[in-house]
Amino acid sequence: MVIKVKNLVKRYGDLTALDHLNLEVNEGEIFGLLGPNGSGKTTAINCILSLLKFDEGTIEIYGKPMSPDAYDIKRNIGVIMQNVAVFEELNVVENINYFCGLYVSDKDKRRKLVDEAIDFVGLNDFRKFYPKKLSGGLLRRLNIACGIAHKPKLIILDEPTVAVDPQSRNNILEGILKLNKAGSTIVYTSHYMEEVERICTRIAIIDKGKIIATGTNDELKGMINSGEKITVEIIKIDDRILDDIRSLPNIVSVELNGNLLVAKSDRGKNNLLPLLDYLKSKDIAFGKIYSEPPTLNDVFLEITGKELRD
Amino acid sequence: MIFHNYLYRLKCIVRDRTMMFWSMLFPILLATLFNMAFSNISSAEIFSKINVGIVDNSEYRENTFFVNSLKSVSGEGERDLFEVKYISKDEGDKLLEDGKIEGYIYFDDGIKLVVKKSGMNQAVLKGFVDDYNQTLSTIKTIYGKNPSMDQSKLMSSISNRIDYLKEVPVSKSSPDSIVTYFYALIAMACLYGGFLGLKEVMAIQADMTAQGARLNMAPVHKLKLFASSMLAAATIQLIIIFILIAYLVLILKINFGSQLGYILLTCVMGSITGVSFGTFIAIIVKKSEGVKLGVMIGVTMLLSFFSGMMYDKIKYIISTNVPILSYLNPVSLIADCFYSLYYYDTHSKFFIDIILLCGHNIVFALITYSVIRRQKYASL
Repeated sequence: MVIKVKNLVKRYGDLTALDHLNLEVNEGEIFGLLGPNGSGKTTAINCILSLLKFDEGTIEIYGKPMSPDAYDIKRNIGVIMQNVAVFEELNVVENINYFCGLYVSDKDKRRKLVDEAIDFVGLNDFRKFYPKKLSGGLLRRLNIACGIAHKPKLIILDEPTVAVDPQSRNNILEGILKLNKAGSTIVYTSHYMEEVERICTRIAIIDKGKIIATGTNDELKGMINSGEKITVEIIKIDDRILDDIRSLPNIVSVELNGNLLVAKSDRGKNNLLPLLDYLKSKDIAFGKIYSEPPTLNDVFLEITGKELRD
Repeated sequence: MIFHNYLYRLKCIVRDRTMMFWSMLFPILLATLFNMAFSNISSAEIFSKINVGIVDNSEYRENTFFVNSLKSVSGEGERDLFEVKYISKDEGDKLLEDGKIEGYIYFDDGIKLVVKKSGMNQAVLKGFVDDYNQTLSTIKTIYGKNPSMDQSKLMSSISNRIDYLKEVPVSKSSPDSIVTYFYALIAMACLYGGFLGLKEVMAIQADMTAQGARLNMAPVHKLKLFASSMLAAATIQLIIIFILIAYLVLILKINFGSQLGYILLTCVMGSITGVSFGTFIAIIVKKSEGVKLGVMIGVTMLLSFFSGMMYDKIKYIISTNVPILSYLNPVSLIADCFYSLYYYDTHSKFFIDIILLCGHNIVFALITYSVIRRQKYASL
């Protein structure tokens, strides 16, 4: 067990930011903490890192209580903050070297680590660039390089892809997978379910300071009643037809949004064919058809009644 | 680790162009402007010979006493009062009208002085004429009562003036109000080290910057981070002050006296005070960076004003009415150090100021560290 958080409570006056939060992170996994803005992800991370005071609970990292002067634990942690934490007055190489130098005092070893970090994030062509000359995506890559240059065993990334272009985002996600393959345990927080679904081996969904569900991607989706979501482009349909579709086996809800018929089914399989057969039998013309498996957003929606992006 | 942080903090400070402008270039610009403004004041105080016209008629020529008296105070020498032109009465009126002479003297049944306006030069002319009339009257009175008296001895005795007062300087240098402004300027520049101190504290505080949060996650004791950052700031500030003083002494030719060791000590203490003052502002002002900087600038300007940078008399007003303020004002203390080195023969006042500055530094540093050593925050 790398991180063990028990009954963590953090209050800001009357607001309870973390409400008896419990989570565990195992060695070697990519643990995702997924939740909407304001759910307590960053607060939880800052408490785990001993940057924030908390009111109740315990936090252990590598079996030891975490505290601001637990330098032996800190030596093994790499942090990539939500806000870019680099110095404007130092170029790419200098920034990475500066932060790496706080962990690794040997100059030769550090030089090698810095070069590897720059290579890892793909900033070789920008070594002498200053942060203000870098695009948002490249700046995020620099931010990551500063956090992982010293090759930590535990890497915590707090929403590292905010305001990042798709290419850089892809680069970052691929990089995280590589780091995990190389042996690092990763904690990844985000409100983008696509990222969490793509890279995380285990996910905890957080809302209003509480963990509401934990498990693998499949385990989480298996918790809910929502199954497949079928969207069909149709020309015209009346309420009687909608009622008929609603009564089809495994269909739990039907909506008509303009010219799109959206039918949600339960966990049953083969939901598309019966629907299409019915439409054909009624001579109802249809165009494009989309079928989506349940997403984490569906999980969140079913548990909390609201969307992840609300 | 300490040296590593020290080196990188040096780089960060030196490459911050805005900060370098305010800390280094601005005081140099201000010193240049001071010098341009004050050089005119100095030149106004230098005495220039008074242009006077003398109507060269027979009555003037017969009055040998006046002729000799006038010769003794006019000519090419530096200590002479008058630059004499021999003219006619009409020429005198014209030259007076044109402002080419301050007045003219003519004899017409007694000595007469003609001037166009009243002022310092006209007062000097009148004083000379009055002194001549008085001396002449004295001679006539004495000679009238003692006709047998030796004329030359009488003239010599009347002409000899005995000074009963002697000027004894209280200090080794003559008083110069202008140099006070430059001392206050250097003191202000020392306190501008506060910008560096403020920047350094913000860089290592997790609740102030993201960089601070990252630094707090490193396995380095906060005291080491704080100490090495402050050392970097003090180093740069000291170099800036040395550059400023070199500019004042070598380019603007401002005289600071000759006690180099004590001047260096003042620079070191002043630099450390400025930096520690900035760290103090950074932790007690719980607002954004912009507000902290605004408070820093405002307070520094106010303290500089109270130390006489904008109006030299204010320093005297405060030291006589509210002396405690002088001891609490670090700008005033730094300026005082230079002042006492320049004017006083002993160093007691100087060392009192240095000790008070040390006290300031200790208080600022203790308060700052007691806040920043806290490594967990209520909010980020």
